Amino acid sequence: MSTPHTSSTSSGSDGGLIGTVAGPGDGPNEFFIVTPDEQAVKTGEFITYSVTVEGTPRDVIARVTNREQARGLPETFMADPHVAPEAVAGTLGVPTEDIDLYRLEAIVIGFYDTDMQTFSNPRQLPRSGTKLRTAPDAMLETVLPNLGIGAEDARNESGEVDMGSVDVATRDGLAHMGWLLNREAGAVDVHVPIDEFAATHLAILASTGSGKSYTAGVLMEEMMKPDVRASLLVFDPHGEYGSLSEMRGGGRFAGEDGYRPEVEYFNPENLRIRISELSVGDVMAILDNPSDRMQERLAGGWRAMQQRESRTWGVDELLDEMRNQYGPDDASVGALEWRLRRSIQRNELFTTDVNVPLDDLVAPGRCTVLQMDTLSRRDQQMIATVLLRRLYQARLAAVRGRGDDPDFNGDIIDFPLFSLFEEGHRFAPATGAAPSLGIMRTITSEGRKFGFGLGIISQRPSKIDQDVLSQCGTQVTMKIQNPTDQKAIESSVEAAGEDVLRELPGLTPGQAVVSGDAMNTPALIHVRQRHTQHGADSIPATERWRAANEQRREHPTRSEDADMGGGDSTGEVDLLGDG
Amino acid sequence: MDYTVEIYNETDRERAPSPDECGFGQPVFIEKTIQGDEYIVMGVIYDTQLVDPDQGRSGPRLAQGDQPQFTPGYVEERTKFAGVALLGVAEVTKDATIENPSHQMPRWTLAVEDIVEQCPDGVTREFHNTEDGRLQLAYIERLLDVAGPLGAEVTLALVERLRESFPAEEHQRVLNVIEKDIRWQSSVDRGVMR
Repeated sequence: MSTPHTSSTSSGSDGGLIGTVAGPGDGPNEFFIVTPDEQAVKTGEFITYSVTVEGTPRDVIARVTNREQARGLPETFMADPHVAPEAVAGTLGVPTEDIDLYRLEAIVIGFYDTDMQTFSNPRQLPRSGTKLRTAPDAMLETVLPNLGIGAEDARNESGEVDMGSVDVATRDGLAHMGWLLNREAGAVDVHVPIDEFAATHLAILASTGSGKSYTAGVLMEEMMKPDVRASLLVFDPHGEYGSLSEMRGGGRFAGEDGYRPEVEYFNPENLRIRISELSVGDVMAILDNPSDRMQERLAGGWRAMQQRESRTWGVDELLDEMRNQYGPDDASVGALEWRLRRSIQRNELFTTDVNVPLDDLVAPGRCTVLQMDTLSRRDQQMIATVLLRRLYQARLAAVRGRGDDPDFNGDIIDFPLFSLFEEGHRFAPATGAAPSLGIMRTITSEGRKFGFGLGIISQRPSKIDQDVLSQCGTQVTMKIQNPTDQKAIESSVEAAGEDVLRELPGLTPGQAVVSGDAMNTPALIHVRQRHTQHGADSIPATERWRAANEQRREHPTRSEDADMGGGDSTGEVDLLGDG
Repeated sequence: MDYTVEIYNETDRERAPSPDECGFGQPVFIEKTIQGDEYIVMGVIYDTQLVDPDQGRSGPRLAQGDQPQFTPGYVEERTKFAGVALLGVAEVTKDATIENPSHQMPRWTLAVEDIVEQCPDGVTREFHNTEDGRLQLAYIERLLDVAGPLGAEVTLALVERLRESFPAEEHQRVLNVIEKDIRWQSSVDRGVMR
C-alpha cells in the first residue's frame, strides 16, 4: 500500500495531520495521541499512521475512542458563566492561544490486507512521536465496507496498490446507505455490499422515531436499482411503505435496457391462505387451548387430509375425516369442531381453494409489499408463516434441482429472495408464541445456503428471538436508550463492540452504526436522503386536535338557550334549523 | 524586584506621609529617565517594617554616673520601612499622562535615593487599562510570588482599588472571578479549604 496520499483529505490544509502518538494506552490495541486541536478529531474518527509490518510499509487505520483535556485554563476561570475564561486569562496576562492540549485514545483497527480483503491487525502499536493523519476519504470508502477489493482492483495508473484509487461508486451490487458521520456530508460515502446482507440476513434496530423504516426504505431503494434488481418481499404491518411505488417511474431507478422496478401491493383482500397450506402445528397455534386428546385427533385428521390428492379441502372435509377415524360421537372431535369453525372457517383469511401464486408474489426486479395493517397480529403471523414456508420450500426445490424432476409438482423459485419484516418482534418473538417463529429460525440459520435472506426491523431487540437476531450477520443500529434492548444487542450481535454500544444512546434520528458481515469495521454513518417519500412520519397531534376542534366549533349542531331562572328551559334547539 | 523604601518622617519633610498614604496595597511609582525618555516604574506597598535602635532598651540613660545633667546629642533614628514589589513600567507622555503600560518585569534597576511617590488613582487606572479597553493584571503571578505570605492580601487590596476605578459590569465580573480565585487558592494553600 502506498503512503497516505493527502490530496483528497477534507480536513486541514496540512494534509490532515492531526497529532502525535504519545504512548501506549490501556488495552493491547490502544494508544494515546496528543493533539493541539481537538476540533479536528471527533470521537469515532478514523485516523491513520504508517508502520512497517514485515518489511512492507502499511497504512494502519485506528479509531478515536475517547478524549480528555491534558492542558487548559483552570476551572476557577469559569466561575462566572457571564465571563469568558479567555477574558479572565487575558486580564491576568495568561496566554490563551494554543494552550489547550488534548489527549485522545485510539484503538487500532488494522491495515487493509489485499490478500485477506479485510483488516489485519499489525499487533504492534505506533512508536511515540509517530505522526497521525485523518484517514483519507477515498481510502475509507474502499476499506470500511466489506467490498472484497483485492490488490488487482486497487492498482492505480502507475501500477501501485492504492486503496484510494478505487472508485467505489462505479461498482455494482452496492447499496449507498449514507456517509460517514464524522466527515462532511458526502465526503466518505458508505456503500454496503448487498450480497453480504442478503445472504447472511440483516437487522435494523432502533427505538421508535429514530428512522428504522426510513433506513429500510433507503436499502429497498438501493436494492431496486438497475444494477441489483432484487426480489423483495416486505411484511408491512403498519402500511409504511406506500410511497415506494414512486420508484416505478423514477428516472434514478430506470435501467438503460428499459428496466423499471415493479412495486406491487397486496392488501388483506387479496392475501388469502389455503387451509391445506397450513401445517398441523400452525393450526394448533391458532386454536384455543386444545387438549392433548384434541391435538392427537387433529394431527391424525390433518395427516390424512394432506395425503389426499386434492388441495382444496376445508374445515368440513377435515371434520368428516376425523369423524371417520374416531367415530361420529367422539367428544374431542366435537370440541375441535367448535374451535376450528371459530378460528379458521369464520376467518376470511383462510380459504379452501384460493392461494396467492408465488409467481405473483416474487420476481426479480419486483418489490412486493404486504400491507397487513388491518389484520390481527395472529393473522399477520399466519400469513408470514405460510408464505415463508412456501417460499423457502420453493427455493429449496430450486437449489436441489427438483425442477428437472418430472414428478415434482411444487413451486420452484430459481432466484434468491430477500424478505423484510417491519416489526420483526411480531413474527419472531422472544416468547416463542408465534407460529412464524419456527420458519424464521430455519431461514435465518439455513437460508444462506438457499439464497433466502431476511431483514428484521424492530424497535425492541430484546423482544426478538435471540436465535433469529444473532443470525442476522449485518446490523444497522440506531438510537437505542432502553438498557434491556442494549443488552439484547450486546449479547446477540457479535460485531457490536463496546465502543459501538456506547454510541447508541447518543445517536440522533438518521444516524446509525453499521456493523457485521457487510463491514470490515463498524462505522457510524448518516443515512442518506430517501429518493421516495417517507411514509411513516409521526402524526402531528396538536395540529390535528386544533383543526378538529375548530371544525366542531364552526358547525355546532345543538345549543340550549340560557335558563334565566324561571326554570322553564326551552330544551335543545337545533341551530341548523331542520329540527 | 523587591525593594525596601524608607518612608519620610517629620524631620525629613515638612509634611510626612500620613499612614493612609503609605498603607498596605498602596500603588506607588518611581520616575526614571532612560536614554532621554520618561518612564514610571509602578510598584505596590506590600509590607512595612518599623526600625527603632532603642528597641529592647528601656530608654536613654546618662552616660556616666558623675554627669549631673543629661545633654543629648540625640539623633532620631526611628523610622518606617515599606516593602515595595514592582509591577511594571509605563511611558510618560509630554502632557504627563502615561501610555503603553507594561506588566512585564521592569528591566531597570532602581537606585538608592530614588523617590517613591504615591500613585494617583488616575495613573493606577491607566496602568491597568489596555489599549482596547480591557482590564489587565498580568503581574499578578509575580506579585503573589514576591510578596510571599502577604501576596494574596496585597493582590486583593489592589483588586479592591480597581473595583472603584473600573465600575463597568464586565470588569467587575472579571474582578469577581479573580478575587474568588485568589481567595480560594490562598485558602487552599493555608489548608483551610481543599
